[in-house]
Amino acid sequence: MKIYHKIFKKPWPYWVGGIILALLNILMLSITGSAWKVTTGFLFWGAGILEKVGFAPNKWYYFAAYNNGLKDGQSFFMNTYTVINFAVIIGALLAVLWASEFKWKKIKSFRQLGFALLGGILMGYGTRLSFGCNIGAYFSAIPSFSLHGWVFGIFMFVGAAIGCKILYKYLL
Amino acid sequence: MAEYKLDCLFEACPIPLLKALKQLEKMSIGDVLIMHTDHNCSIKNVVEWTKKQGHYIDYIEISEGEWEIYIEKAR
Amino acid sequence: MTSNKIEELIKKRQMENKKKKNQTPYGIGVTLLALVIYLALLNYNLRFSSFWIIGILIGVTMQRSRFCFAASFRDPIMVGSTSLLKAILIALIISTVGFFIIQYNTIEIHGLHLLENIPGQLKPVGLHTALGAILFGVGMVIAGGCASGTLMRIGEGYILQIVVLIGFIIGATMGARHFEFWDKILISKSKTIYIPKYLGLFPSLIIQLIVLVGLYFVADWFDKKNSIMSSM
Repeated sequence: MKIYHKIFKKPWPYWVGGIILALLNILMLSITGSAWKVTTGFLFWGAGILEKVGFAPNKWYYFAAYNNGLKDGQSFFMNTYTVINFAVIIGALLAVLWASEFKWKKIKSFRQLGFALLGGILMGYGTRLSFGCNIGAYFSAIPSFSLHGWVFGIFMFVGAAIGCKILYKYLL
Repeated sequence: MAEYKLDCLFEACPIPLLKALKQLEKMSIGDVLIMHTDHNCSIKNVVEWTKKQGHYIDYIEISEGEWEIYIEKAR
Repeated sequence: MTSNKIEELIKKRQMENKKKKNQTPYGIGVTLLALVIYLALLNYNLRFSSFWIIGILIGVTMQRSRFCFAASFRDPIMVGSTSLLKAILIALIISTVGFFIIQYNTIEIHGLHLLENIPGQLKPVGLHTALGAILFGVGMVIAGGCASGTLMRIGEGYILQIVVLIGFIIGATMGARHFEFWDKILISKSKTIYIPKYLGLFPSLIIQLIVLVGLYFVADWFDKKNSIMSSM
């Protein structure tokens, strides 16, 4: 019972999480040949929705340049990004249920909703400029010895500082 | 000794921590702050921050995914 | 670190508190569902099944350790605490070594000429990287979570984070639509810089490890500076 409590109930120290995530990322690169990436999957979902309503996003310049397209046999909705993104959601749900801590958390105010949407759009747009989010362009890029990971990390601090100013002013 | 309640339900990070920080500044030594939160991260980052500042702290889970964090201002 | 006062209050609260519901049955149900999906993917596409199982483990780890990339950048600025940043630096140190071994094996065979052959995330670096990172940093703080954090929080039951995800999809799609513009003025002019190509394989590894360990000590010092010793 004590061990159960320690593993499933009490939050782990951050450094334990860091070590496990690093090992999982290494495992992923060695098994699948691809490091952990998240946001391109979000773009694929957006493009998939546009395709469903009659646009032709796969003709966009983006998908022709820099080999950003899908591998053979994958669609905008059925691809490795979709699989891993859903897996992360299910993994978190599992962890929360094992601890009996699941609770639906509703939206508190219109302002909260507005900032969430705006923040999401800013992040989404940013990822297309920098080829990834803080996973693909930072957490997986720095260990890949690519300079853009370091640049992304440094300027994310600048962005976070601006974000903190906005947060203090409007959200607190 | 006074007791203060702080409702942090449905707030996202880092609002619970900032609210607690603001409230603690207003309180005097020996007062207790009771935070009601449903943010899974609060029981980690609020606890860690208050310990670092040298206050007394403990928490209990009052319902699934809801906690009450007790902080006694120590200095 | 608790005090008598708090212990008394908690004891009182525990007595009046109703019994908690046990969510373990749901937990077992979802675990079985995840296993069924894993088995189905094994037959459908082996590659997908590896992504599925690693993804589940990532989700569990992030939730259990309350890992949050957004907080690792925000907390040093906001409250002067760097424990998450230190955890990420540890992760970067370990994965640097791991990625190095994987890349080394590939480079042994293929050489350094074609960057596309090198496993990992190698992308053009330039002004667009900085611009994207700033946009991302602002969005991350005001939305209360980054991309992976948003996914994790959806699993925890946050409806707000579903809104963030919708925003994310809109933003990413808009970004891809405007990509031609950015590519013409910025991205096509910049190139991918793979550090070992300029410094050599082993020197890059050593330098990167020294920098990361150095940053760890700086973060540790910054954390201590902001604790009880100094005024608030």
